[in-house]
Amino acid sequence: MKMILSLPIDLLILFAILAPIVYLLGVKMRTRKIVDIWAVVGFLVSAIALYLLYNEVAAEGIITHYWAGQQLRGIAILQIDMLSIFMAAIFLLIGLLTAIYSTKYMERDTGHAEYYTLLLLMVAGMIGVAFAGDFFTFFLFWEIMCITSYVLVAFRKEKWESIEAGFKYLIISSAGSATVLFAMSILYGMAGTLNFAYLSSTISNTPTPWSILALAMIVLGLGVKAAIVPFHTWLPDAHPAAPSSISAMLSGVVIKTGVYGLIRIMILIFAPAEYQWQLLLAIFAIITMTVGNVMALLQNDIKRLLAFSSIGHIGYIIFGLSIASVYGLTGGIFHIMNHAIGKALLFLCAGAFLFAVESRNLDDLAGIGKKMKITGLTFIIGSLALAGIPPLNAFQSEFMIILAGIQQGVTSGIWYGLSAIMVLNILFSVGYYLRIIQIIMLREPTDLAKKAKEAPAPMLFSMIILAILCIVIGIYPGPFADFANQAAEAALNLDNYVRAIVG
Amino acid sequence: MNLIPLSYYIVTALILYILGMYCLAVKRNMIKLIIGIEILTSAANLNFIALATYGNPGGADPLGHTFVIMSIVVGACVVAVALTIAVHAYRHYKTLDVRELKRLRW
Repeated sequence: MKMILSLPIDLLILFAILAPIVYLLGVKMRTRKIVDIWAVVGFLVSAIALYLLYNEVAAEGIITHYWAGQQLRGIAILQIDMLSIFMAAIFLLIGLLTAIYSTKYMERDTGHAEYYTLLLLMVAGMIGVAFAGDFFTFFLFWEIMCITSYVLVAFRKEKWESIEAGFKYLIISSAGSATVLFAMSILYGMAGTLNFAYLSSTISNTPTPWSILALAMIVLGLGVKAAIVPFHTWLPDAHPAAPSSISAMLSGVVIKTGVYGLIRIMILIFAPAEYQWQLLLAIFAIITMTVGNVMALLQNDIKRLLAFSSIGHIGYIIFGLSIASVYGLTGGIFHIMNHAIGKALLFLCAGAFLFAVESRNLDDLAGIGKKMKITGLTFIIGSLALAGIPPLNAFQSEFMIILAGIQQGVTSGIWYGLSAIMVLNILFSVGYYLRIIQIIMLREPTDLAKKAKEAPAPMLFSMIILAILCIVIGIYPGPFADFANQAAEAALNLDNYVRAIVG
Repeated sequence: MNLIPLSYYIVTALILYILGMYCLAVKRNMIKLIIGIEILTSAANLNFIALATYGNPGGADPLGHTFVIMSIVVGACVVAVALTIAVHAYRHYKTLDVRELKRLRW
């Protein structure tokens, strides 16, 4: 069979299009659950296809594929290297576990056909962004991802919170998308093409006022999606308002798509040696992590707290990127994986609490961990992991980022200061993670929490898998760090990427 | 044949972009905010069309036009979603003023 795009994306889109039909069949056969299982199967099949693709990429280095059939100046092309595979693997992992979790969590909601269609399409869009080899493809998949996530945030349309958050998210995020589009038009005017490799060979050598304007607009536009402070204001509203399974997707992986775009575009097209954006981006990163961590401490709503903590972690990742060395980028990319796993776990746990007692307020949730022992245990693992406690996973990547920052100190003393601020931030963030652990696990249960029952099996399954991953990556980081290292080297190996197209 | 210089188009596009951002920052009606998004997208589209024509003496570059058509389609989807949310907001609050949607601190 000839594939249209790439096999993992094709399968996801196919499953997404067929999901409403399967739902209707399920209604006819009086088994409504069938569409849930359909979505889980879709993610599984796509994961197998991704594994096959991984083997191909590991053998050949870079795969290029013209999906529109014509070879018009490198347009409509997929260019898949190790970094793309790495990101796609994280997207699919979190997507699969979210789908399993949703089979139980979304039981009380209606509109399952729409929900799973949108979920599958969102993951397809994210993988497409990671595979894109030119701005045309990038923009299309970017918008697929954005539009589906707008709808998913506003999914519970009968609640005021979802509507407000959805509208705010839509306005801010599509303004960001339009800014990226404007930057693309400038790059197109300068180079006459939109292919990353061609742009890399024309734009990266000589900074001109126009290319610097384009760079600024791309950082602004992708920064909105990646929630870099001061463009983060939508995130603490949108992430809590969505259903918890979607919060896990948004906080775990959708914001990472913005980070991926920054990594790919800024390293490939705006070469750090010429454009000197490292320090500026590092300052953004420091502001981001500080604002995220300080605001997280002040929150009284568990999902809002987790959303702010996501902003803090985005700061760490951007700091790793801003160092722009192999080691720093490895740390940043590795942290993308660790944060995705940890934050998805915490949001799924918060969803389980929400499922049990219908409240997100920390005062109501006090002591609930004593009633929901397994959920509580996974919640502790997730919190400690993100707090950077060894031997759990985020410690490994945060350590790598800080070490890379100190190595960068050889070039300019300011990097020592920035790394020190990051260490302070990590220590500071332990404060609120311990606070939520203390509230959830150690306090006397409130009346509301006493009535809580343990979460159902599919929800527990997803949480336990993620908790095990937290521990495994922490104790045995070798293969995972190696994978991240391959991804970082692929991202920095411009020659290979450009030669695959330009020749 | 005398064409209008390219810089006119680019300046117009930049002015449109700034107008769109101004609209998003100042206007308080949900429909006007959605119009602001449309203005922003139009600015980028205009820039694409102008550059596609001027970059290639003797004919327009199909690539820029393809991109703009796609961008218009995508923009229509975004506006459809935005208007749906606006309708639901109107049903809840009986107003389109975003200042009334203040429970989330705009």
